[in-house]
Amino acid sequence: MNWIGVSWLSGLWLLALAAPIVIFYFLKLRRPRSEVPSLALWRQVMNDQRVNSPLQKFKRNLLLLLQLLLLLALTVAATQPFVRGDAANAAYVPVLIDHSASMAALDQPGGVSRLDEVKSEVRQLIDDLLPGQRLSIIAVGSTAKRLTDFSDNKRLLKAAVDGIEALPVESRLEDGLRVTQALARTVPVETVLLFSDGNVPPDVPFELPFQLNYRRLPAGGVNLGITALNARRAGPESWEVFARIEASQTEPAAGVSTGTLEIKLGNEVLASEHVSLAAKANERFAVRIDTDKAATVTATLRPDGFDALSSDNNASLDLPVPRPLTVYCPEDLDSYRRALESIENLVLYPVGDDSGPSEYDLVVSDRASDLDKQAPVAMYVGVVPPELQELVTVKTNLAELVDWRRSEPLLQHVQLADVQMSDEPQNAEGVRNEDYEERGYEVLAFGRSGPLLLKKSTPLRIEYDFLFHTDRSTMPYRIGFPILVSNLVQETLRGADLLEVRAGRTGVLDPISLAPNEEYAVTIPDGENVSLRSSESGQLVGVPAPAVGRYVVKRGGRTVATVGASLTSASETGLAITEKLQFKEIEVAADEDQLPSDKPLWRYFAFAGFGLLLAEWWIFQRRPRRAAA
Amino acid sequence: MATSGQLTSLLSNSALARLERMRINPRKRQTNLGRGEHLARKGGTSTEFTDYRDYSAGDDVRYVDWNIFSRLNRPYLKLYRHEEEMHFVVLVDGSSSMVYGDKFLMAKRLAAAFCIVGLYGGERTSIYACHAFGRAPEFLPPMLGRPALRRALRFIENLEGGGDAMIDAAVDEVLLRHKGRGIVILLSDFLTFGDLMRPFNRLHAAGLEPHGIQILSPEELDPELSGDIRLVDSETGDALDISSANDLLALYHEHRQALEEDLATMCRQRGGRYLPVRSDETVDAVLFDRLRRQGWVR
Repeated sequence: MNWIGVSWLSGLWLLALAAPIVIFYFLKLRRPRSEVPSLALWRQVMNDQRVNSPLQKFKRNLLLLLQLLLLLALTVAATQPFVRGDAANAAYVPVLIDHSASMAALDQPGGVSRLDEVKSEVRQLIDDLLPGQRLSIIAVGSTAKRLTDFSDNKRLLKAAVDGIEALPVESRLEDGLRVTQALARTVPVETVLLFSDGNVPPDVPFELPFQLNYRRLPAGGVNLGITALNARRAGPESWEVFARIEASQTEPAAGVSTGTLEIKLGNEVLASEHVSLAAKANERFAVRIDTDKAATVTATLRPDGFDALSSDNNASLDLPVPRPLTVYCPEDLDSYRRALESIENLVLYPVGDDSGPSEYDLVVSDRASDLDKQAPVAMYVGVVPPELQELVTVKTNLAELVDWRRSEPLLQHVQLADVQMSDEPQNAEGVRNEDYEERGYEVLAFGRSGPLLLKKSTPLRIEYDFLFHTDRSTMPYRIGFPILVSNLVQETLRGADLLEVRAGRTGVLDPISLAPNEEYAVTIPDGENVSLRSSESGQLVGVPAPAVGRYVVKRGGRTVATVGASLTSASETGLAITEKLQFKEIEVAADEDQLPSDKPLWRYFAFAGFGLLLAEWWIFQRRPRRAAA
Repeated sequence: MATSGQLTSLLSNSALARLERMRINPRKRQTNLGRGEHLARKGGTSTEFTDYRDYSAGDDVRYVDWNIFSRLNRPYLKLYRHEEEMHFVVLVDGSSSMVYGDKFLMAKRLAAAFCIVGLYGGERTSIYACHAFGRAPEFLPPMLGRPALRRALRFIENLEGGGDAMIDAAVDEVLLRHKGRGIVILLSDFLTFGDLMRPFNRLHAAGLEPHGIQILSPEELDPELSGDIRLVDSETGDALDISSANDLLALYHEHRQALEEDLATMCRQRGGRYLPVRSDETVDAVLFDRLRRQGWVR
């Protein structure tokens, strides 16, 4: 009987009420009166009955039997029995509900969304909550948000579940699991329930400290959506805009999904293309735009038939104003200046006494004093960053290159194999590459005794550090050197959104360059305002983007920037299903059936008791067949 | 009350005409010494020949068969049956239990019929009606002949039921007042808490053949009771709680049938007869069919 349990065993004491019921029943039994000519025969009958069966009175007393059964039903209901499930019989159960974009997908025309199905199941789970059990509702999208503390307040829990809405963002389970892990430090959490449509990244970089029950709902229906909207600089005042349309994995009834893609520049329609895609297929559309101003490109997809997801049918792309790059490079660093001067659309500083703006797009320097110059991309040669000075020292010695990362954009098509270097970075004793990684540096080129080239990447800045001075090597004389500088400029263009731009993504907006240390109000598409303060570097970061559309940034009531956000997620549009979640050590398989939870039985016993009560009332109240004389 | 042209409201005129021709048929001919219309077992002076015997000195020579004497030259005496009178007592149970289901009406009708048969048959007919315990019964003393018929019918018509008299106590009351051998017709439901053996024994000892007619209503023969119920005795007001009455009905029927068998046995052993009657039967069916077929009347 392990599959059944009771929550309040002491409730069985209620069975003791059977004694007074029996006593009062026979003491206070109200019987209908029936006058008979004589009791002579009936007395003989009763005497005979008592002699034959002393317990006959008890055996044949239907009303008493019903009352005892009623008491038994109510007692069992009071003990709150339940059928054990495999999962949710723990006391504290966090419930993770995926509310990413794909959860808004409908299963069929006029059908229900994945999220609505999840809500229905979770509401059932809440209804089946046993005494002592507490749930915590956590909504997981691109980030996680705990909606309730551990609570057994069903109204509160249901209100939290009902309040969850699907957001046009990608799924990231890690945040939800980390929130759960934090909860597990305060209360014992053994089991976590995850409700999702399976459209989550299969690899989750997280070590599971608890059991995860992964309930996967059936995927949504046929879907067509925009998964990419990018632009690449095609000339000083022209852009090549690309849009990618993808179809979901569900096979359309007609074999293909069709629709119309419309690309606009402002209100001007640049292209209107017919789209016809089979399941899992994609198609790329390109259009050239000539503009010398900042502009917004919008792409709108209008599916002809049923479309499971609507949030991926719109995307917008903000094209920046074309401008030349500002590059700082000391005048005595001739090799780099010459290479930079040969590149178009680039202004090189310093020029004479003009040291240029306070912030550059690119800094190339061999001076430690230039380490604090502001630029999104910087390259330092022959300078050891201060936080690495205890790890590495540069000796005047011939350095030997071991290997380099050829896939790194900076080093693409750059051959370093035969470069001779007269400076040799040497690791301090016991220092390994992991020590650099701990400080945020990535080794791009490995020397025999230490790293030759490092990269430090932060959201606001990319810094390349040649620990040897390139002028004291054969590098400037090699064909790869101008390619290296060109790669650096391309990276800078990319970082300054001057080479490539892509549609802003929902979730969190990309950093917006504004005036430093100012208070800004961001109006998100649904009308809500968010107040944020720009950083000292003039970046407005961490702007939540929970909806597809335009985000208006204002300061003092004046619009200072407009940024678009789109879903543009191939995984969300494709409604792909992840059957197994691969964690660091284990994998968790999806369960397509409803998650087993403890099923309380008290209501069935209560209903049975009610039925018995009605039966007893009916028997008690019914007229005897023979009316009293 | 009789309507115009009808002798009594209890019986139709056609039934009266048929009753006039009927005679009671006692089993053991318990008669009185008084002269009557019932032949006694002993010899007598009636006109009905029974046997011869040798003449002995002192015999009345008027009874010598002279034709035999002339042929055999020996005197033989002719013997004749003796005809004696027989008392015919009708005892009506008028207790409350008899009021149910027209039992008392049936009893009154049967009593009237037996009175007619008795009076037309030349019996000394008397009627007793018992109502309450300890109270003297209403009765008509023994009557003879047709002139008493109207009085007897009026008496029966005016009987009213109700009371707590039990049949055994009623018999005691009757025997305090009645003298004479014959037949007693007991019209009752025989539902008594007392011992029925005793009244039958006393009747038998008093020279009365007990003929019992047990009148039961359909509700008593086939009660429709179910569940938990409180039964109240109509005579005594006593209550009896029963549970699952429908389950007890089989036992009830067993006891009722046992009572019928006991009554039949007690009547038969004392020279009488027993007849169970339903109160919803027609009186004609009882009188002219069942009583005749069972030899009560001829």
